Amino acid sequence: MNSLKTQKNVLLITFLFIPVLLLLVFVVYPTLKLLQTSFTSWDGFSEVQQIIGFKNYKDLIFNSKEIWVSLKNNFLYFIIHLGFIPLEIIAAVILNSKLRGMKFFKSVVFMPYIINGVAVAYAFSFFFSPVNGALNEILKMLSLEGWIQNWLSNPSVVNYSLVSVSLWRYSGFHIVLFLAALQSIPEDIIEAAVVDGANAFKRLIFIILPSIKIVVELMLFLNLRGALQVFDIPFVITQGGPGTASSTFALSTIQMAFKYKNFGMASTMGISLIMMIVVFNWVQKNIFGLKEGK
Amino acid sequence: MQTSFRINHDVRKQSKSASLKLDQWLIYSIMACITVIVFLPMLVVLFASFKTAPQIGNDFPLQLPSLTNLNLENYMVVFTKGKILLGFKNSIFLVVISVAVNALLGTMTTYCLHRFDFKFKKTLIALFALGMVIPGQICEIARFSIMSRIGVYNTIWAPVIIYAAADLMQLYIYMQFIDKIPVSLDESAMIDGATYFQIFYKIIFPLLKPATATLAIIKAVEVMNDMYIPYLYMPSAKLRTVTTTLMSFSSSQFSAWEYLSAAIVVVMVPTILIYIVFQKYIFAGIVAGAVKE
Repeated sequence: MNSLKTQKNVLLITFLFIPVLLLLVFVVYPTLKLLQTSFTSWDGFSEVQQIIGFKNYKDLIFNSKEIWVSLKNNFLYFIIHLGFIPLEIIAAVILNSKLRGMKFFKSVVFMPYIINGVAVAYAFSFFFSPVNGALNEILKMLSLEGWIQNWLSNPSVVNYSLVSVSLWRYSGFHIVLFLAALQSIPEDIIEAAVVDGANAFKRLIFIILPSIKIVVELMLFLNLRGALQVFDIPFVITQGGPGTASSTFALSTIQMAFKYKNFGMASTMGISLIMMIVVFNWVQKNIFGLKEGK
Repeated sequence: MQTSFRINHDVRKQSKSASLKLDQWLIYSIMACITVIVFLPMLVVLFASFKTAPQIGNDFPLQLPSLTNLNLENYMVVFTKGKILLGFKNSIFLVVISVAVNALLGTMTTYCLHRFDFKFKKTLIALFALGMVIPGQICEIARFSIMSRIGVYNTIWAPVIIYAAADLMQLYIYMQFIDKIPVSLDESAMIDGATYFQIFYKIIFPLLKPATATLAIIKAVEVMNDMYIPYLYMPSAKLRTVTTTLMSFSSSQFSAWEYLSAAIVVVMVPTILIYIVFQKYIFAGIVAGAVKE
């Protein structure tokens, strides 16, 4: 019995040593470090880190207009993706029908998610480009010259262009998640509804939507967290430009650190982002009562 | 009486099939639109990759490149000056190492957390959960100085370490799978005299293979597509991955659309081929990974 206990301890120590070490050094320590740096004005290389208390937090809230603008851009990603959820559900319902060719369409719809994100970003830079860009050329061909835009350099348009890239990339992924949820609805429930005379619309409202409620809620929060963390698309396509018009919160945070060498403020922003995510997770678990793994 | 009933029935059937046809027509046109939207930007890039700069300037973007006299020069540039094959080599190396390291560490951790009780277990699980909450790029602000201090900056090991330490999704996937492996299996092996180590590598690890396959798929997609970590930690030209090679195209002297288009196509094609072949597993893997949150 005793030897079994020793064996267990040896196993736990040998098996957990590396994972725990990695966790402590590369996740826990940086997080604490981030918290500590958020109270300093550190520039990233000085030996001394001057402690300035809550100044960064105060500046972030009261004194940082561009950062609030970037947070507003995050909100745009959230709202537009939110508006697409009903369309995504309808697409998933269609793909779930037993019509011919649906497997093919499912593959097509999901493909953008699998492709390298940087390749996608550059393909769209080309697509939206003011010089030889496909979108403007196509508009010209359709005699819609009035719609021609500087899609990526007009500050009031650029965010919509970038959100459309995000939609192109992620909608298929959402559709496949909804589809997986739909496929878990037992078929006899739907058949019973058909026998009772429920038409497609009624089936959608009274049977399908209630059965995939959990996935819809999950998607709301995936969308919220995703929108809060948008980074790749603006980073590659516009670098947040023109000016800071298309910056997002994560992008401004990274630029604050690596471009403007203000690691103190960047850490404050990082901690604020983590806090927002934690709050949303808490709301998801406690208010919506979603248990992890369901 | 009988006939009228019959006629009535027929009429109903007919109108139903007519409306069914209308539905189908609508459904297929929606799907056709989606297909066009998905392929449009990719086709523009594909066509441009076979054109010269003046042709890109003059042609309509959806005009086919001349097939009789196919211009492969852009591709030549991508493979020779662009060194895209080196990018593939580095990316594949990263995928293989990361999948191996994560599968090993993930199964070991899962075995300990699921089958044993020990002090600080709850704390440990909470810490692992912390890793899932923190957004990837943000953590780099603090991680960056650690990476340079331990001397892995600008080596291929920087991303390997980060992928192993920070991607904790595998724990979730493995936890779900190990839950289905009956503990009685462990117990009967113990009665036969197996040690915990033997139980792990003779029973648990092999039985977790389907989960490892799922993990491998998610990981491969993630690592191949990851941009920021290689960009930040491996600026050296020798260490470029597929993604950072592509980025070097846009910022360097070849930043012309014809070369960039060819590079985009070279990066996209292998992924699309793998996607076509392993589709079923990719769907299953990605769905399993997403539902964890």
